Amino acid sequence: MTINTPYAIEVDGLTKQYNDFLAVDNLSFTVKKAEVFALLGPNGAGKTTTVEIINTILKPTSGTVTLLGMDVTQKKYDIIPRIGVLPQGFSSFDRITVRETLEYYSRLFGCRKTDIKGLIALVNLNHKADEQYRKLSGGLKQRLGIAVALVNDPEVIFLDEPTTGLDPRARREVWEVLLDLKKKGKTVFLTTHYMEEAEVLADTVAIIAKGRITAMGSPLELIENNVNYFTMTLTSVDENMVGIIRKMGFDPVPNAYEDTHEDTQEDNHGIFKIHLEHTDDVRRILNAANDGKASFISLDIRKPNLEEVFLKLTDDPLRHDLSSMKETV
Amino acid sequence: MNLKFINANIIRANIIVNIKSFYRDKTVVFFRLAFPVILILVFGTIFMERDNEIFDLNIQDLDGTASSEQLITAVDSSKRFKITTVDPAVNARPYAMGGKANLVLIVPKGFEMSLMEEMSAESSGKSVTLTTLYDPSSFGVTTKMGVLELVLAGINQKMSGKPAPIDLTEISVLKKKYRFIEFFVPGIIAMAVMTACLFGSVNLNAELRQKGVLRKLSTTPITRIDWILSNVLYQFILAVLSTLVMLVVSYFVFNVSLSINGWLLVFVALDVFAFVGLGMILTRVAREAESAAAAADALMFPMMFLSGTFFPVEMMPEFLQKFARVLPLYYVNEGLRASMVFVDHMASLKNALFIGVFAFVVFVIGTIVTTFNGERT
Repeated sequence: MTINTPYAIEVDGLTKQYNDFLAVDNLSFTVKKAEVFALLGPNGAGKTTTVEIINTILKPTSGTVTLLGMDVTQKKYDIIPRIGVLPQGFSSFDRITVRETLEYYSRLFGCRKTDIKGLIALVNLNHKADEQYRKLSGGLKQRLGIAVALVNDPEVIFLDEPTTGLDPRARREVWEVLLDLKKKGKTVFLTTHYMEEAEVLADTVAIIAKGRITAMGSPLELIENNVNYFTMTLTSVDENMVGIIRKMGFDPVPNAYEDTHEDTQEDNHGIFKIHLEHTDDVRRILNAANDGKASFISLDIRKPNLEEVFLKLTDDPLRHDLSSMKETV
Repeated sequence: MNLKFINANIIRANIIVNIKSFYRDKTVVFFRLAFPVILILVFGTIFMERDNEIFDLNIQDLDGTASSEQLITAVDSSKRFKITTVDPAVNARPYAMGGKANLVLIVPKGFEMSLMEEMSAESSGKSVTLTTLYDPSSFGVTTKMGVLELVLAGINQKMSGKPAPIDLTEISVLKKKYRFIEFFVPGIIAMAVMTACLFGSVNLNAELRQKGVLRKLSTTPITRIDWILSNVLYQFILAVLSTLVMLVVSYFVFNVSLSINGWLLVFVALDVFAFVGLGMILTRVAREAESAAAAADALMFPMMFLSGTFFPVEMMPEFLQKFARVLPLYYVNEGLRASMVFVDHMASLKNALFIGVFAFVVFVIGTIVTTFNGERT
């Protein structure tokens, strides 16, 4: 039975248990039609398990998932023709060309009128149409994966970490394709551990950690509701600088993302992040530095972003994970 | 098995992708088509030599008379020897020890005279003695001496002018006279199909699962049954192609005389089902592609050598013969030989039933345990 609903996806009390490991813990959320929904979380947070239950690859331990008005555990073969999936780490047949790969998947869906040329153009693979899969770079493979997910002109598209492992240029190329899909009004369910990706692409972001959603809303809502400070990043090699800032009652945190030298913290110099509640605090710090004759190399003041939300809503181990994300961006 | 989950278009699409992947991979083409042919050529040549073996024989004629020449001609006419004459001036012992010959037949001086005396009315009853100088360390020299003794016995019999008191008539249990190559080719067909299907199934399933291709396929309308059927059909097409190539080469190079009938297709099909099924089970038991391939090796080697592919099972000790009879490949070998060599339909049917039951069981288990998403069924 198909239920008429404004939601493309409805998840209620979803739980997935692997022996003693609880991968997904009682998740409930909805995804509106034509919206880009991002499930944001570090590795091992339960993103892939969640998306794979919703797109029918895995079976839930308990809870219900309704996709396009149909129960995913009951109507798998009715749902599949209406969705497109880019699984994590997409891969295809090594010796089959880009064009042949799209033709193959199109045949699997029984689509006789798939615009293969148009799909190749959409993901900008015209010059590689007759190249075998094994000869494509990581970015091109991922773009082919997105094209494969679109062969059946799906109503809902699932993209599981579509840009993981790609260099910044390739990542931006994939974003362009996804923004194109957004313009076409497709419902896109995206999982990522890149803050910037979620912020650029998503209408709604759900932050997931240890199998639970800790916050959900538009990127702006999440920031406004969860972070009431802005961040000053200070680069200084002056040993006095940290002491001066601490005396003022602030708590400078060594920026692990950009400075990986452990001894920096002990030497009290390097790159520091300071959370400030008022813009006037910047002037106060600069004056104090001037009075204490402490020099600095650069100063950067940023509005709060999803990264701050993430740091606030998740535990310390995630900070560590975040630092590794930053390094790979 | 739910028939509504079988889609001919999907199966066709899958077979096309598999065939394209096959012919674009030159290594796979070599091992699938050329390697069995090389085995046939190598072993066929060896066995052909043994079937029509002509031995080298060195003869030193110290007598140099018409009788000694007649003797050499009589030995030569047996067509079992390629004769090389040794100069009478040469010392035969160092000649043989120098590695130039492992058997030298010496016709002594006075041979003709002694022979005449023996054949005359005043015969002393003593035989004329020929000497053979041989190297016992040389491989096959005993066989060669045995053949020479038989040839000389034949010459003696003829010279006596009387019919042999005991004669031997040979009756083959087979309708035609077969050479070893004709027994060997069915074995190689069975083995080539087994290895290709076992490894093909393991590689396809384990590698594609490890790479995540099966996960992607699980989000398309293809069902497990479509997938398995298309892989079996693909393996069957390649098995038939590979069998055809082997038979054509065997006919053209060795002029083999084998009966081609419906049983050949039956046994090739059962071979495919049995070993694709076994491959699917191995893929499930050994989760990684490498360990699945190692497990396939461990199963394949005993079967290759102990189920009568390269040499008859009867040559093995009793306990190994019993072991051979639990190996599925043994029944494919026996069945193919029964149909292609002996043209014994009852024996073919019996072997087909054995391998058929095995194929059915492993294929059903393989189908049950194969999944796309990696979750236990």
